[in-house]
Amino acid sequence: MVDKIKVENLSCYYDKKCALESLNISIVQNEILSIIGPANSGKTTFLRTLNRMNDFDKTYSRKGKVYLVGDNIFDMNMENLRKRVGMLFAMPIPLPMSIYENVVYAPKRLGLISKKSELETIVEQALKDASLWDEVKDRLDSSAMKISGGQQQRLCIARILAINPEVILFDEPCSGLDPISTAKVEESMIELKRKYTIVLVTNNVKQASRVSDRTAFFLMGKLVEIDKTDRLFVSPKEKQTEDYITGRFG
Amino acid sequence: MIKLSPKLSQRLSYTILFLATLLAIIPVSAIIFTIIKNGASAITWEFLTAMPKNGMHGGGILPAILGTLSIVTCTIVITLPIGVCAAIYLNEYAKDNLLTRIIKLAIINLAGVPSVVYGLFGLGIFVMFLKLDVSIIAGALTLSIMELPVIITTSRSALNSVPYSFREASLSLGVSRWQTIRYIVLPNALPGILTGAILSISRISGETAPVLFTAAAFSVPHLPHSIFDQVMVLPYHLYIISTQIPNMPKNIIFGTALVLLMMVLTMSFIAIVARIYFRKRRKW
Repeated sequence: MVDKIKVENLSCYYDKKCALESLNISIVQNEILSIIGPANSGKTTFLRTLNRMNDFDKTYSRKGKVYLVGDNIFDMNMENLRKRVGMLFAMPIPLPMSIYENVVYAPKRLGLISKKSELETIVEQALKDASLWDEVKDRLDSSAMKISGGQQQRLCIARILAINPEVILFDEPCSGLDPISTAKVEESMIELKRKYTIVLVTNNVKQASRVSDRTAFFLMGKLVEIDKTDRLFVSPKEKQTEDYITGRFG
Repeated sequence: MIKLSPKLSQRLSYTILFLATLLAIIPVSAIIFTIIKNGASAITWEFLTAMPKNGMHGGGILPAILGTLSIVTCTIVITLPIGVCAAIYLNEYAKDNLLTRIIKLAIINLAGVPSVVYGLFGLGIFVMFLKLDVSIIAGALTLSIMELPVIITTSRSALNSVPYSFREASLSLGVSRWQTIRYIVLPNALPGILTGAILSISRISGETAPVLFTAAAFSVPHLPHSIFDQVMVLPYHLYIISTQIPNMPKNIIFGTALVLLMMVLTMSFIAIVARIYFRKRRKW
């Protein structure tokens, strides 16, 4: 087991209010780590710290270190970090252009493409990996805003895959999706695990138990418990964890 | 307090709101009607394409039309790039601190400064201090300073109308901030920016005070050769022929007004068409 991400003593604040307190956690290569917990438990803050999306928030500050295979991400160039750590948001956000253009947008801007002919291969591969290819291969030129919500979310996954990151962060990716679309996104997550390391923040406890290898339970900005998913769900060590997963609070 | 039945109060408020709308429309239609009625007979090909004759009593108003067009063109060439760049800086880059907030407030307030004040400012700075004399370029610079706050404000609201989530999605893919602005924000803000620009054009083509001291001449016997020439402009020409020249035929005065009105309305119409076109093309 190789640690892909190692978090050391990370604390995050919004206007001095503590959102995440001295967190120590490791994320193993090629695993799906689920983070569950009620609102205000700091799980989204943690995720948005991992690719520094929170750096644009003026009220946000942090202490501690996060290593991505040995490099402290807070010393890295933000663009380089985000190229290695992709993020999928809660609501699908396709860019206002065609399906094809959505996938090639980032590779083009990041200069990952040397020949025009590579583009089509990238698009096909990314869409196949996101299990969307069969549904859209005949209408790659139509607007990405016109496909269904579930398809849009998988398009957003394809967009991330096109820049070939190492880690993918999922921020409640299925909160706006119906059960069938959810199942499809979960399926592709399990497929993706072979090539990528995945961190999944979810409000859906069942989803965590379905897809993840390990699960972490956050409460009030603190990591309460982290363990193998089957063990955490069957015999949690902490009372709070048990209360949460059995639906007694939160 | 009298209590009205819901039905009655509904009818009453509907009537009041409708009358208010009517009251706003009537003067505008009356103006357009009067100008067309009195001026249409003056509009001939010669009127639009010839030089004035017999001390403005005959001939056409070509120099004034061209003068207005050249000043407006120069103004927009100066304001649009500067205004859009400033708007991008203020909206996308500037940190939200006290200084930025003061600048933003100042820009909004600058849009409310009376235009004659800009005219005097232009006279002092461009005509006298920079020795540009009374010329197209002095007038255009004056109008530019007057119009910049408006362009910045409309451009900023166009930039703001692009959802923040698009920026976030682009940045999260490792795309840089400038590329995000260049490839995501600007293309989607363009319709709003253009509409603002076109409306500005229609506004500045009707302005009299700022060009009064800086660009306009009572009468110029030739068409403008360069941007350093004095020119005749439509609004000022209209003022001259309606107040300074005795026995001016009524239809020439109203005809000139009609030409000015048509220019302004055409610009607004183009703005509306452009907005509809871009809105249809918008993909979200």
